Amino acid sequence: MSWKFFSEALFQKAPHALLVHLLIVFVTVSLAIVISVPLGVLLTRRNYQRFGIVALNILNILQAVPGMAVLALALPLFGLGLKPAIIALLVQSLLPIVRNTIAGLLGVNNDVKEAASGMGMSARQILLEVELPLAMPIIISGIKTTTVYVVSVGTLASLIGAGGLGYLIMGGLALFRFEYLIVGAGLGALLSIFFDWALSYLEARITPPGIQVE
Amino acid sequence: MIELKGVTKLYQGQAVPAVQNLSLSINRGEICVFVGPSGCGKSTTLRMINRMIEPSSGTIEIDGKNIMSSDPDSLRMGIGYVIQQIGLLPHRTIAENIAIVPRLYKWPKEKIKSRVNELLEMMGLDPAETRNKYPSQLSGGQMQRVGVARAMAVDPSIMLMDEPFGAVDPVARNRLQDEFLRLQKEINKTIVFVTHDINEAIKMGDKIAILNQGQLIQFGTPEEILTDPANDFVENFIGYDRIVKKLNLYTVAEAMKTSFGLVDEAEFSGINAKIPNAEVIFVRDQGEQLVGYLTAEDLSAQGAQRLTQVARQKRLSFVKLNTPLPDALSLMLENDADYVAVLDGDRLCGAI
Ligand SMILES: Nc1ncnc2c1ncn2[C@@H]1O[C@H](COP(=O)(O)OP(=O)(O)OP(=O)(O)O)[C@@H](O)[C@H]1O
Ligand SMILES: [Mg+2]
Repeated sequence: MSWKFFSEALFQKAPHALLVHLLIVFVTVSLAIVISVPLGVLLTRRNYQRFGIVALNILNILQAVPGMAVLALALPLFGLGLKPAIIALLVQSLLPIVRNTIAGLLGVNNDVKEAASGMGMSARQILLEVELPLAMPIIISGIKTTTVYVVSVGTLASLIGAGGLGYLIMGGLALFRFEYLIVGAGLGALLSIFFDWALSYLEARITPPGIQVE
Repeated sequence: MIELKGVTKLYQGQAVPAVQNLSLSINRGEICVFVGPSGCGKSTTLRMINRMIEPSSGTIEIDGKNIMSSDPDSLRMGIGYVIQQIGLLPHRTIAENIAIVPRLYKWPKEKIKSRVNELLEMMGLDPAETRNKYPSQLSGGQMQRVGVARAMAVDPSIMLMDEPFGAVDPVARNRLQDEFLRLQKEINKTIVFVTHDINEAIKMGDKIAILNQGQLIQFGTPEEILTDPANDFVENFIGYDRIVKKLNLYTVAEAMKTSFGLVDEAEFSGINAKIPNAEVIFVRDQGEQLVGYLTAEDLSAQGAQRLTQVARQKRLSFVKLNTPLPDALSLMLENDADYVAVLDGDRLCGAI
């Protein structure tokens, strides 16, 4: 254990690696939200409901493939770098959000929807003002699952040259520099914990007060 | 006016229609109650009126206009809708819940605010205390009131109410019914009211439509239905106490005798007491307080001197003009009385 390597890892390599890692997480999760929430909404609309099972099964299968394998597959298809890594991670980020969006929307009390539509609210108004706000805590919880997943599997992204905290870990392994390993893995763990905490806080904040009361 | 013409609804995958060739018309300002056993098609019929369900055949007109020619959302905005489960939005305050339809109509904020307060007051809720609460903080009865207030927000001329008081205990239900009837006298809306409780139907309805297995069995005023049930089904549905239920339709005012005698106690002491010739004679003391009554038999059986005692021995009870007849009758049984006095304010106006 050498302080020199430790501080080198922490102060010279880690900031950049962390930044890249955060970039991977933010871009992947944002894209996952933008794709998954509308997909979940669509799959709960009456005309598309019947595709729900099929879509969830496909996503389930994608999810079941080991993260390492997906990244490895992305290599011949998209080459090296950040972009293929993000694409590969994205594929596995969709399921939790889609699943929770569907569960959240289906969980909205039918009587509430019936009353809203009986008062003349349009389907769009019901979605935006009733269904999504009521489903939001569950959707956020899906986003949390995805985020934590991307933080951890994101460390593998350095395998295809995307950088990030994985770069420190791999480097540590290759050079037998235990210090690099510790810094990389430790920061990864801290990042996971941070996102978990931040999103739990958001989840609690966003839960409508009328529901928290219970 | 709401007019249903040969309306049929066959749900997908159903062998028998939920509603079958139903025709009836509901006049302006009237409460029409759909009543019948569970699954007879009451809710289906109601929900066809605001196009929550589309009929398989037949037409529905509101004020002569086929509802299929209106946009469903704007049709519903113009019709008050109350359901048993109420369906208040749990993430919105009471004020926001009531403001939903006014907001759809894009009313200005100030107007919405004062209307919400007005409605809460009308429904017997304290605006300051209730406005900012969430539905989960209210009792069942309070939620029902908010549900009704919400449906009346933009003062629609038609209200559809599907078991609106179904989710509260009988005492609260009775209160809500009474209050709603009183309110209806002022607001005079055309109301379609669904219940499976015949007593509620008799109490609330100007007209009652009895449904069974999707068919209209009888349509008429409560009195017509109680007097002349169309068939065995209706008779059974009303129950064995048809006569008692019918009594409920009447108040003391409609059944009392307006010819009665009234004498001062002091008169009895005179030998030639001027005793009026009436079936019942009320007796009052010097202070003009009623103290008892006499019947025609008492007069022939007793000497004039003892009449005072006889009159005072009988327990005299009083009812008001608008007391339901059965209440007056049970009072008579309770007091073992032949007659009760009917008061209009504090003036004696009749006897039962
Ligand atoms: N969406 C639907 N799809 C298929 N069948 C339905 C649907 N809604 C109601 N039904 C059927 O139609 C019939 C009438 O239902 P409806 O809800 O109108 O009855 P109801 O008189 O309101 O009964 P309740 O007193 O139980 O509310 C029932 O047999 C019911 O099972
Ligand atoms: Mg019903």
